Amino acid sequence: MIGIGVKKGTAELAILSILEEGPLHGYELARRIERQTRGALSFSLAALYPMLYRMEQRRWIRGAWEASSSGRRRRCYRLTPQGKKKLSPLRAEWSELFHALRRLTKASHA
Amino acid sequence: MHDWAQIVRQRLANLALPDEDAAQVFDELAGHLEETHQSLRNEGLSEQGAVGRVLEGVGDWRVLQRKIELSREKEFTMTKRVGQFWFPAFVTLLLSMALLALIQIFGPNPWVTTATPRGWRFVAPVAVVYVSWLFTLPFIGALRAYLSKRAGAHPRVVFSSIVFPVLPYLAFFLVALPIAVILDDHMAHNIMIPAFFVGLCAWVIFPGAALLVGGWPVQHFASRHSGIDRTATN
Repeated sequence: MIGIGVKKGTAELAILSILEEGPLHGYELARRIERQTRGALSFSLAALYPMLYRMEQRRWIRGAWEASSSGRRRRCYRLTPQGKKKLSPLRAEWSELFHALRRLTKASHA
Repeated sequence: MHDWAQIVRQRLANLALPDEDAAQVFDELAGHLEETHQSLRNEGLSEQGAVGRVLEGVGDWRVLQRKIELSREKEFTMTKRVGQFWFPAFVTLLLSMALLALIQIFGPNPWVTTATPRGWRFVAPVAVVYVSWLFTLPFIGALRAYLSKRAGAHPRVVFSSIVFPVLPYLAFFLVALPIAVILDDHMAHNIMIPAFFVGLCAWVIFPGAALLVGGWPVQHFASRHSGIDRTATN
């Protein structure tokens, strides 16, 4: 079972990576993550927004209300310079972890 | 068509966040649910089926509420008291003291003269400076109430914040002065008692009342206004 810390870490990485491509509102962000991970990662409402608020508090992302072309107001999140700085080491850490796990699983299969 | 904003507000009615933050959270979550609902309808689900799926996706609303509160807790425990009480209190305390000093320097000119053996001497009576300062206090009270209320303070906190500048004087009159009277043999007790009440009125009761005259209507109006906002968006 994947622990809470790992889940939280992957969620943060997923959100920061998607927002690196451009600002998005919560709903679209969740859809984009689900689509790009082919459903492997999906966010419930109770997981997504508390995570976004926490990341906003840490100043990794910034939310602002914007009106869409349909006139609907949405809170769009964008990556801050601090968030960009956070993304690189986070990617490196996760990449290292995945490589280590891959090596481990390959070794155990051999 | 479902009013998702109303559903969210009802289900998260006890969300422990300042009004303005709570309203933003409600709007954002309602928008999310509305889009999810619309997307499910576009996929061909019936109205009832789509609503059911949306609500199912939320899960336990109490869990959602707790998670949102926790995600903001650190920020609020660190800054809530500062924003709602200490910041408005100290800004306006500083302002009221600065105004008192400015009135003394640039305020009304002395208008009482006394004759001394060396000739005429101009004296600024305390009332000239004091009364002018007293007239500025309602504005300071109003500013203080506005700052506290804007930070989402409870009416009790707003009240404490409004009367904050008179609290040091109150402590002085109720604690320091009686102790001084008891311990200091050189103080003339017959003079002290009337002076005590005059001082208490001049530095605690009147300024406190003046601060409340300005601050309380602002607090009252802001509370009503936020109440109207919530009802309107419902």
